[in-house]
Amino acid sequence: MEKKLVLSVKNLKKTFNNLEVLKGVDLDVYEGDVVAIVGPSGCGKSTFLRCLNCLEDPTGGSILFNGEDLADMKVDINVHRQKIGMVFQQFNLFNNLTVLQNITLAPITIAKKKRSKLKNKNFFIKIANLFKGKDNKKPLYDLGKSIAQIKQEAENKAMELLKTIGLEDKANSYPSQISGGQKQRVAIVRALAMEPDVMLFDEPTSALDPEMVGEVLNVMTTLAKEGMTMIVVTHEMGFAKEVANRVIFIDEGIIVEEAEPKEFFTNPKNPRLKDFLSKVLV
Amino acid sequence: MNNNYALLWEKFIDALIYKNGYKKVLEGLFNTAQIAVVGLLIGIVIGTFIAIIRVMPKYKVLPRILDKICGCYVELFRGTPMMVQLLIGYNVLLPILGISVDSGLPVAIIVFGLNSGAYVSEIMRSGINSVDHGQMEAGRAMGLTYATTMLKIVIPQAVKNILPTLGNEFIVLVKETSITGYVATIDLTRAFTKLGSDSMSYVIPYLMLGVAYLVIVLLISWGVRSLEKRLKKSER
Repeated sequence: MEKKLVLSVKNLKKTFNNLEVLKGVDLDVYEGDVVAIVGPSGCGKSTFLRCLNCLEDPTGGSILFNGEDLADMKVDINVHRQKIGMVFQQFNLFNNLTVLQNITLAPITIAKKKRSKLKNKNFFIKIANLFKGKDNKKPLYDLGKSIAQIKQEAENKAMELLKTIGLEDKANSYPSQISGGQKQRVAIVRALAMEPDVMLFDEPTSALDPEMVGEVLNVMTTLAKEGMTMIVVTHEMGFAKEVANRVIFIDEGIIVEEAEPKEFFTNPKNPRLKDFLSKVLV
Repeated sequence: MNNNYALLWEKFIDALIYKNGYKKVLEGLFNTAQIAVVGLLIGIVIGTFIAIIRVMPKYKVLPRILDKICGCYVELFRGTPMMVQLLIGYNVLLPILGISVDSGLPVAIIVFGLNSGAYVSEIMRSGINSVDHGQMEAGRAMGLTYATTMLKIVIPQAVKNILPTLGNEFIVLVKETSITGYVATIDLTRAFTKLGSDSMSYVIPYLMLGVAYLVIVLLISWGVRSLEKRLKKSER
């Protein structure tokens, strides 16, 4: 069965002031894929991930997502970012908002914006209709849900998501009142609230205390089992081995080796990967 | 000597209460408050706007031009005394624009607003820079626009960080209103000067004037401190 292509990266390049970090990376990600990216620090794996949703603008190459090239500056990146969830190493929960507001902010804001755009269009159609005959009046757009409904639905959904990670009692807490592991789980749920087509994880467990790593990895494993497409930059070799279906080794700005996890860890071909694995798998 | 002060005090009370001096004082107090409060509000709006422009990423031409304009504005208003700005506004710009006013109050409010806009923009800029860059990235990564993330996430946190400095700016504005008497505005200082000339002695009126400013400023700093405490509570 042919799988649907979600993200197609071709010859992606990124330079920071003459420093070439990515030297042409190609990667195809299919629906349901869990891609783990590993590599030594400073090899460009985080930069690669951040290029995928244009947090860093790529200097060359293309990123095909939903039929459009995100590397093209003319594309409205905000629309596509709504469908690309991202989880950061430092959680980056909004400190001035409660957990619930953190999750609902983007869905509510974006739905409201869409609604008010339609409303404006309707206003002009109404004016134009004044000058038209009775029979050829242009129909108005359907505004859909009211703002109160939008809010209510977003909140209900947020509470449901919080229940899946067992944090519904923290809905009204502020980020400073919950632990690191809880923060990262909320951050994952916050990205999920937008119903993304693909999730990017930028070293999601690296800033956590050791005893909290497990709870975050559990959430990610569940997510992978539910069929979410994920690209994970990680140092957790266990996660890469158990959950990912493809593992990628990036070194000096290029993909050096790509393989299924079993093959990747038991039979590495590239000498640099061998060296890397001998250091991390102690 | 003792007797002398008692006499002066009597004269002051006489001018303040029996010759309706208190009406002038209340008017002055109201004008001072009006200039400082409205000036600060205008300043916060202008300052926030300028600060956002100045921290905006500058890949395109338009933000760069706006940044230069804002830079000139800030340097202009920080580089000249507020007194001079008031005098120019009232004695130069009003005649050129052909506007006649019976009181300098509107001019004072506008000048105070523009002036504090320049200072608040710098305060706000440092506040925005104090907010972790990850906050902006997280907002943008979810598809929110730069403006939305700025207004809903970064600015609220920035304001919390700069509240003490902003309170300081308010206090400066309140005290600076004492120069608006030069442009035909009845402020607190002008009102007490009037009391002095009515009672033929400035000793008690000016001492009382100092006390009045001190009380106002102490009240403001107490208010800012309790506001700060309340905002901190929502975080801990």
